[in-house]
Amino acid sequence: MNLSRTAMATVVAFIAALGVGILLLLAVGAPPFETLGLLVEGSLGSASKISITLLAWSPLVLAAAGLVVTFAAGLWNIGVEGQIIMGAIAATWVARTIEGPGWVVIPLTIVAGVVGGVVWALLVGVLKTRGHVHEIFGGLGLDFVAAGLATYLVIGPWSRTGVASTSGTDIFPEEAWMPTIDALGVEWPVIPVLLGITSVVLVWLLLKGTLFGLRLKAVGNNAYSSYLMGIPTDRYILGAFAIGGGLAGIAGTVQVTAFHHKLVPAVSGGYGFLAILVVLLAGFSAVAIAPIALFFVAISVGSTQIDLRLGLDSAFGGVLQGIIVLFVLFAGGWAAKHPNSSLTPQEEP
Amino acid sequence: MALEIRDIYKHFGPVRANDGISFTVQEGSLHGILGENGAGKSTLMKILSGFYGADSGAVILNGEVLELGSPADAIDAGIGMLHQDPLVFLPLTVLDNFALGSPGPIPLDRSEILEELNRVSSGLGFEFDPSRLAGSLTIGERQQLAITRLMWLGAKVLIFDEPTTGISATQRLQLFATLRKLAENGLIVLFVSHKLEEVEDLCDSVTIIRQGRVVFEAEMPVPPETLVEKMFGKVFVEQGHDAVPLGDALLRLSGTVLTEGTTHIKDLNMDVAAGEVIGLAGLEGSGQRALLRACSGLLEPKAGVLSIDGKDMSKASYRDHLAAGVHYLPAGRLEEGLVHGISITEHFVLTSEDKSFFIDWKAAEKEAESEIGDYSIKGDPGSHAEGLSGGNQQRLLLAMIPDAVKLLLLEHPTRGLDVESAAYVWTRLLDRRLEGTSIVFASADLDELLRYSDRIVVFFGGEVFAVRNASDIDGEELGYLIGGKQRV
Amino acid sequence: MTRGRRSIRLLVLIAVLAIVAAACSSSSDDTTTTTTAGDGEAAVTTSPAQEVDFTFGMILVGPENDRGWSQAHFEAGKYVEANIPGATMISLDTVNSADRPETSVEQVVDDMIEQGAQMIFATSDDMRDGIEAAAAAHPDVPMIWSSGDSAWSEGEAYRADLSNLGNIMGRMYFGKEIAGCAAALTSETGKISYLGPLINDETRRLASSVYLGAQKCWADAGNDPAELSFEVNWIGFWFNIPGVTLDPTEVTNAFFDGGADVVVSGIDTTEALIVAGQRADAGESVWAIPYDFAGACSEAPDSCLGVPYFNWGPSYLDVVTSAIAGSVSADFQWIGPDWSDINDIDSSMIGWITGDALADDASAALDEFVSGLADGSINLFTGPLNYQDGSPFLGDGEAGTDLQLWYMKQLLEGMEGASSS
Repeated sequence: MNLSRTAMATVVAFIAALGVGILLLLAVGAPPFETLGLLVEGSLGSASKISITLLAWSPLVLAAAGLVVTFAAGLWNIGVEGQIIMGAIAATWVARTIEGPGWVVIPLTIVAGVVGGVVWALLVGVLKTRGHVHEIFGGLGLDFVAAGLATYLVIGPWSRTGVASTSGTDIFPEEAWMPTIDALGVEWPVIPVLLGITSVVLVWLLLKGTLFGLRLKAVGNNAYSSYLMGIPTDRYILGAFAIGGGLAGIAGTVQVTAFHHKLVPAVSGGYGFLAILVVLLAGFSAVAIAPIALFFVAISVGSTQIDLRLGLDSAFGGVLQGIIVLFVLFAGGWAAKHPNSSLTPQEEP
Repeated sequence: MALEIRDIYKHFGPVRANDGISFTVQEGSLHGILGENGAGKSTLMKILSGFYGADSGAVILNGEVLELGSPADAIDAGIGMLHQDPLVFLPLTVLDNFALGSPGPIPLDRSEILEELNRVSSGLGFEFDPSRLAGSLTIGERQQLAITRLMWLGAKVLIFDEPTTGISATQRLQLFATLRKLAENGLIVLFVSHKLEEVEDLCDSVTIIRQGRVVFEAEMPVPPETLVEKMFGKVFVEQGHDAVPLGDALLRLSGTVLTEGTTHIKDLNMDVAAGEVIGLAGLEGSGQRALLRACSGLLEPKAGVLSIDGKDMSKASYRDHLAAGVHYLPAGRLEEGLVHGISITEHFVLTSEDKSFFIDWKAAEKEAESEIGDYSIKGDPGSHAEGLSGGNQQRLLLAMIPDAVKLLLLEHPTRGLDVESAAYVWTRLLDRRLEGTSIVFASADLDELLRYSDRIVVFFGGEVFAVRNASDIDGEELGYLIGGKQRV
Repeated sequence: MTRGRRSIRLLVLIAVLAIVAAACSSSSDDTTTTTTAGDGEAAVTTSPAQEVDFTFGMILVGPENDRGWSQAHFEAGKYVEANIPGATMISLDTVNSADRPETSVEQVVDDMIEQGAQMIFATSDDMRDGIEAAAAAHPDVPMIWSSGDSAWSEGEAYRADLSNLGNIMGRMYFGKEIAGCAAALTSETGKISYLGPLINDETRRLASSVYLGAQKCWADAGNDPAELSFEVNWIGFWFNIPGVTLDPTEVTNAFFDGGADVVVSGIDTTEALIVAGQRADAGESVWAIPYDFAGACSEAPDSCLGVPYFNWGPSYLDVVTSAIAGSVSADFQWIGPDWSDINDIDSSMIGWITGDALADDASAALDEFVSGLADGSINLFTGPLNYQDGSPFLGDGEAGTDLQLWYMKQLLEGMEGASSS
């Protein structure tokens, strides 16, 4: 069947990408297998490395889960970066403003993150449905606005006491830190990981088992047919943006309350754009984003080691990620272009 | 010099658009290509102009077999095509449009191009202001600009695809004069049309295509009834249904004005009674689709009355129409009906009355299986819409029509279905009349129009050309009417 | 539909290509970060005689070859390696939340210590929280946070608990005073502008130093003090981020359009000098002064009046030497130039290189000014000086203390521009 052809092509592409990575390493005179080994060791080699990797995995998978929803509705939610940032800003506002025990403050930061992300995503949605501004342009514009706002807040109104700088706002009070669980001598980011897993499961359920998800898919695959079926397409587009933005907003909350413990200008860490690549690589499947996001994060976290130990520029990790995405997309395109002709009768209009 | 088309085959999946077409056109000839919609003439012209590759066969110009891999190849070989909508870049000036695609690898400077424009256009008897924006030209003038450019590029064969759509009568006369002049100058001019009168007026010879094959070739003049018969085939039909007692007027149009694209319909007046079946005849683009879209709420009338069930609906939205019991089934099955990537079961869930949040997939699959059986759709509940053949897509669309509908608007409801399925579908559709459902359908199939309609409304050039009781006319007369001629 | 999908695919491809290209371009610099001392480089005799085995970690905020702040630190690390046989630097560059979102300073410190680092340098103001947490987690490992104030017992952010975390910073205000003087000696219009990064205590201090240097030399040259104007505009960050900061190129052009003829840059990149060079080529009499890196004038030598720069090597060598001896103490060090030769790479923390564009007579006047700074006869932070809002900063005859200079709350009276964001 077609599916297994695509799967085969993906596996071949992965192997080919690894091969090119090895050739690249040989070309710069680095030991290829030691380098790849260090990538694994540096990301999964010890309990503390695993916890670092999991902490980076959570926001990436949250953003990616949201993108699965917007992609299902046929939307290119490039504004996901801005939604993460606005979620982080809203969560920061709560962390700086609301005083109380952790069990009050932490849920409030999550709610605030959702609100921040949803509002920012709905702006893109309204620009699209009312203003006919394509979501890519609306989203990019709002990304810039959000990034500018974060920088402004960090060096302006929320600048830290003493020497103000871009290093971020004051560290949050500990009540606003997402609690961790101490085991094996390592602090485990349990809540972010649970949020990530829950988002994947809920998105999977939404798209597989509900009328809402099915209608979303219909709108994404053919908005005009869906409209003729009587589906209020604009409302579903806004709904998809709201869900995508909400999950991105939670990713922003995780970034500030579990990782930085403050707001920094580059708070999104580029996870939004990385999440787009993850979802493309996952073939828009909610279930597949979890392992693929882990794979990507492991490369990023592990690449610090190849810089430290081998003196190799750690940008190699980014290059490897890029090669893999290119190869897999290329393979997907190839598989789509060369289907077993008997399987899919095609008709020109 | 002669243009020879030899054994051209072109299939799209199961559809045989060109099924071995061969004919030859001599130098200096103005040659008409006639055929009803879907006969295969557009496909053939796209093959000639390099947009499609043929599955097999050859195009031979002046004894040389042409390699037509792309439109650029075709232009290099001397074949130029003028589309219904001339490919002109509206925000650019006349001169820029002319200069686009200048021949040879080295771009000419503007003064040279201007000289060329004046030389070629005056040779054709056209006049342009080179600095005018193409957007401000009439469609007729755009055609002239496109012709000028193709001539400059050295065209030996010019193809005109329905060139009279959307231009004024004066411009049409001018265009015809130009075409005659081009032919006199030794060019081969292919004139693709469905308008009998124009072909009679203009062409020296004619080829008629039906169902992907050449069925008739002759030098003009040819009696019009022969042309009609060859275009549509012999049509002998008896009324295929019993009349049901008609109710009050359900759909009422009075002085309705519709505009969509190049189609303008002035002053529509029509009542459709509950339980009545109205067939809309006419060649595509004559206004049937605009009427159906207006009745479904997708196209707002410019003026006049459009009421359904006694309620003014001229300003109502599509969703209001849906709520009022109007159901529209357009012709584009995968474009404006089904959703690719979604299974048959999912289609039924989407159109089901059951709006619960969680989907009961087991029940949905059962429901889908029974509908698949009812409408004899060849596919599984899990088959995706794009994996179905055209006929099965149509069956799926028909199966998705909700039960309680007052006004059913259908575009080519049985196109692509075999005879039995078509008959079955119509049985199901006609049963709905008993509950007072009115049906308005557009079709290119004269048989279908005559067999199932109570009345037939014939469109020609954006106007209601004739209204006839189906029982009063035969296929030949209907063919005349569609071609824009009253039988004498 | 098909066309739409195709164009979307194209977009993805472009995006992916851009990512790959970006990643490639930074990897193609082909720099090796771990270098070992001794291969071929003669050790300077001031270093300890016997070979030691000592590893130190260097954490950089930007690329190690940025021709600016981070490169200055990286080269200081190499200077330490060259002067202490057996000393080895492990470095990691671009440690910031944009380039390495998944990496925190604490994690980098953990990794470096795991690899044998016995001392850590964190070289950005941005690394405050990370290095403080790391110092608390590894109390036995001496660490230096450059440009910070955590070890300053009188400072506002003193962390008495972190006895292993010291601070090193250079008294760049001297360099900026020299820059201001060079600007005033050259300006024909009397309009000098300052291209500022973001606003904080440090950047206010440096902008004010330029102003004080300019004021002094303008008056000493016999000009009317009232005819000197000094405008500051802040772009909002250390470098240009399109859409987020003001565009430094545009800001510089606006300065020149407004009649200024010298722009002094306080940002990490060289837009001001490039713009000045372009306008000078077009026949205008305009100049600029870049910042941070000794080689910065090379972007447009004919328009460059000079550059004040940091030289971290000697101070880092000192602190590593005492760490090897086990006698490092968590001090706050605010180090000035070596006035005997401010460009001596073995001793001077702050340097100034005079540019080709500074006229000979101005150059002579500038030398005189520098010697005045050196012998203490010139101390520009001497009262009476008022803040921008008229409130007193330094009383009549009062010389500014380090605390007063470090924590400047406003720009000075007479400067135009925002004191806070």
